[in-house]
Amino acid sequence: MTPPTHLQNKQSDPDSKPQGQETLTLTLDGEEVTFFAGETIYEVAERHRKEVPTLCYDPRLEPFGACRLCVVELEGARNPVASCTTQAQPGMSIKTKTPAIEEHRKVLLEMVVSENDGIEVDPLRGYASQELSTLVDRYGADTGRFQGAQSGCSKFEDDNPFILRDYNKCISCYRCVRVCAEQEGDYAISIKGRGFETQITTEFDGLLKDSACTFCGQCVQTCPTGALADRKALRAEGQDGELQKTRTICTYCGVGCSVDLVTQEDRLVAVQPAMDGPANEGALCVKGQFAFDFVQNPDRLKKPLIRREDGELHEAEWEEALQRAADGFLKALDEHGRHSVYAIASGRAPSEAAYTLQKWIRSGFGTNYIDNCSRA
Amino acid sequence: MRSLTDDEILESLRGEPAPLLPILHAFHDRDGYLSPEALKVISKGLRIPIADLYGTIDFYHHFSTGEGGHHQARVCTGPICCLKEGNQILEALRSQGATPMPCAGRCDDPVVVLKGNQALLGTSAENLQPRRSPLPPEAPTLEGFEECVFAHIRSPERSQFAGYRSTGGYNALEKACSQLSQEDLLSQVEASGLAGRGGAGFPTGSKWRAVFNAPGDPKSIVCNADEGEPGCFKDRALLDHDPHAVIEGMALAAYATGAERGFIYLRYEYPETYAILEQAINDAESNGFLGENILGKFNFKLYLRRGAGAYICGEEGSLLNSLEGKHPFPRNRPPFPVTHGFEDLPTVVNNVETLASVPPIVLKGADWYQCLGHDQNAGTKVISLSGDVNKPGNYEIPIGFPLMHLIQDWAGGTPSGKRVQAVTMAGLSGGFLAGEDLDVTLDEPCIRSKGSFLGAGGIMVFDETRDMVEIAHQAMEFFAEESCGKCFPCRIGTRRLSERLGGHAGPGELTQWLNEVEALGQTMKATSSCGLGIAAPLISDSLVKYFPEQVENHVKS
Repeated sequence: MTPPTHLQNKQSDPDSKPQGQETLTLTLDGEEVTFFAGETIYEVAERHRKEVPTLCYDPRLEPFGACRLCVVELEGARNPVASCTTQAQPGMSIKTKTPAIEEHRKVLLEMVVSENDGIEVDPLRGYASQELSTLVDRYGADTGRFQGAQSGCSKFEDDNPFILRDYNKCISCYRCVRVCAEQEGDYAISIKGRGFETQITTEFDGLLKDSACTFCGQCVQTCPTGALADRKALRAEGQDGELQKTRTICTYCGVGCSVDLVTQEDRLVAVQPAMDGPANEGALCVKGQFAFDFVQNPDRLKKPLIRREDGELHEAEWEEALQRAADGFLKALDEHGRHSVYAIASGRAPSEAAYTLQKWIRSGFGTNYIDNCSRA
Repeated sequence: MRSLTDDEILESLRGEPAPLLPILHAFHDRDGYLSPEALKVISKGLRIPIADLYGTIDFYHHFSTGEGGHHQARVCTGPICCLKEGNQILEALRSQGATPMPCAGRCDDPVVVLKGNQALLGTSAENLQPRRSPLPPEAPTLEGFEECVFAHIRSPERSQFAGYRSTGGYNALEKACSQLSQEDLLSQVEASGLAGRGGAGFPTGSKWRAVFNAPGDPKSIVCNADEGEPGCFKDRALLDHDPHAVIEGMALAAYATGAERGFIYLRYEYPETYAILEQAINDAESNGFLGENILGKFNFKLYLRRGAGAYICGEEGSLLNSLEGKHPFPRNRPPFPVTHGFEDLPTVVNNVETLASVPPIVLKGADWYQCLGHDQNAGTKVISLSGDVNKPGNYEIPIGFPLMHLIQDWAGGTPSGKRVQAVTMAGLSGGFLAGEDLDVTLDEPCIRSKGSFLGAGGIMVFDETRDMVEIAHQAMEFFAEESCGKCFPCRIGTRRLSERLGGHAGPGELTQWLNEVEALGQTMKATSSCGLGIAAPLISDSLVKYFPEQVENHVKS
């Protein structure tokens, strides 16, 4: 499995610009570059491939300014400024990578590493789970420096089947809290305590299932350290076989969320939301995120079943089963008229199947009694 | 008296701006703690997600979630109370559920213990008594310096409305409303050179003008009375003994800027001050100096809000978030409160002392105020002096006044004449000054040239018998406990520095120890998002600078 792309790496063209906006200029690492009113320094720098490091940043969320890794030198400012929360202004002169700035970033990473029990985590934990370890490698940060107390406190007792709350690896970036509030609107988790004692909590510090959590899994996928992890995916931890991702559309409803199916050999081991999915922008619901066990369930029907005279279901061939269904429909039509039939297409069926169903009901039976479960 | 029902509490406060804190306090006072049921009622009533509310009340030191918690003693273990009997009193009361609290702003008094809404003072667990906070000591009259905010504070009854009126109170507001346009008032405050006395030193007139010019209504005036810096207790003296001066300053700010509502955000640890202010606001309102149609000119409704124990709420962004009922993290700047303050509308946030300085400036003129300072410095500054001095207290000095003159001649020097080993600046935030650097004048340019800053003017004095590493450790532990937890360098850095100063973790070899402490400090100073993380390393830096031998002994042991 290739390391997950950092969330903010939008593959945009540095020269592309939103239409109808005035083009302004500033100096970025000695080069005059253009930007648009309302952009932050970070956004400008990213568009120009400056690879400014971040840990608390998620492009879908309001800039927060916690990790301070994205600090840059701004001419005239006494201290470096956080590029994610600072609006670009015409005439600014910015340096993104001075030796002093890079040293601060390294020290910050060493501080973050020191508060945790380890930074190497299985990529199965979540989409963004490798962000911290990737940055630590990139900066050659010393993982043994600044030793002392550890900050987070895992809640393994929260035995829900979906989300592992391994806060020993938490770095208090609050991406989970913010994505829950800003993207999902659940406000299920929040911040308790302060300073080094800060913990992610639910109402009254209870279990997720007793909170407003809908198990959409967005907190898991935005976590940059794997402190929140996909329990279903972790069932495949340590198994043989390379992980592969295949982009597709979630089949549960009509929204059309883009997902990456994570497979290992011929097994589906996880579903991850596509951060660049036009309909979902990284969001999923509990079903799209976690309800995929049916795919490989041994109880799945592989042949049609017909209830015989003995009252029991028996395996049958397709031809017989379809004939039996057709007979039933025709009987209903004869005895009770065309409006006795009502068809509901499954939200998990593709558009073509939904089209075929309504065509069949309308022209075959002469009724408009049709619906689709995604309508609700 | 029958206690209020849940609905009565909610109904009485829900319509006011900034309702969360007073509602929480009403339940806390009524029930003796914040029960889960109370939180659910408040969450529903104010439409705040219950997880957010639960997390946010936990941020504050003084909200109890255990039954009876509100009435359990909290004993001050701030730097000065630790030099006195703070720890002994805490131990004596621990079996009754007492817990430590950070500096509660009575460093010129015996040790302070909070029980419910009462502050008790004493030298042992047996002699704790309520007592009024001390008046500022008289400055030596021979030297001929004129005071500004303390000029009338020792007049009898000055804290009452009648006493304030009879000593020239509200004359400035009457003068402004009858003789000065908004522009006149703004110009006068600008010309006076008055700058923020909470520590940041931003020119007050410029701030007011920015709010006057900013679009958006209603505008607000916020008085920052969340005096949480250890060793600072000047705002308490002003509010206890001259509350109307601050109210009049706020009304003048409202008149100048067009603000219609105001808030005094008072720290939790001053319950008696809360009662004094409540009375003063009522009296000012019933006499027409607050409320509707003040002196025929403007409307200004003033609300009193009580914090709940969080040092960071003295930072204006945190304070505004706290007022709004949000998690009290600092805000990213820009935008600044002058355009995006309370409820994202233009807001003046001024310190108590700044606001109290305004009425005398309006009455006596900008030039008069300018000339109060020493040499080229404008105005006065209240210094809260505590620790190893014979006469601790609040002294209003001309800006530019020599530090050692204040300590030796005004405050009577150290008890038994011991040598001054070090002082802190800006409470704790400015770190230590020691040795030759004690020979400074009390103005920002001079103090900053030594790598420190004057800030809110808290100065703690430590004589030669004190263990400076231990004092530095206590200071850093304070910052670690009060760090809000938002930005990484402060959240982690304060903890790591405290561990190293306390000997709980870190290298045992001196060069490595110094290397780590310096690296942490440099990155904290450069990258922290607010003043707490930027200032905290001044403690460790100045310790290493002035006391290398004590540091070496500490690391070796």
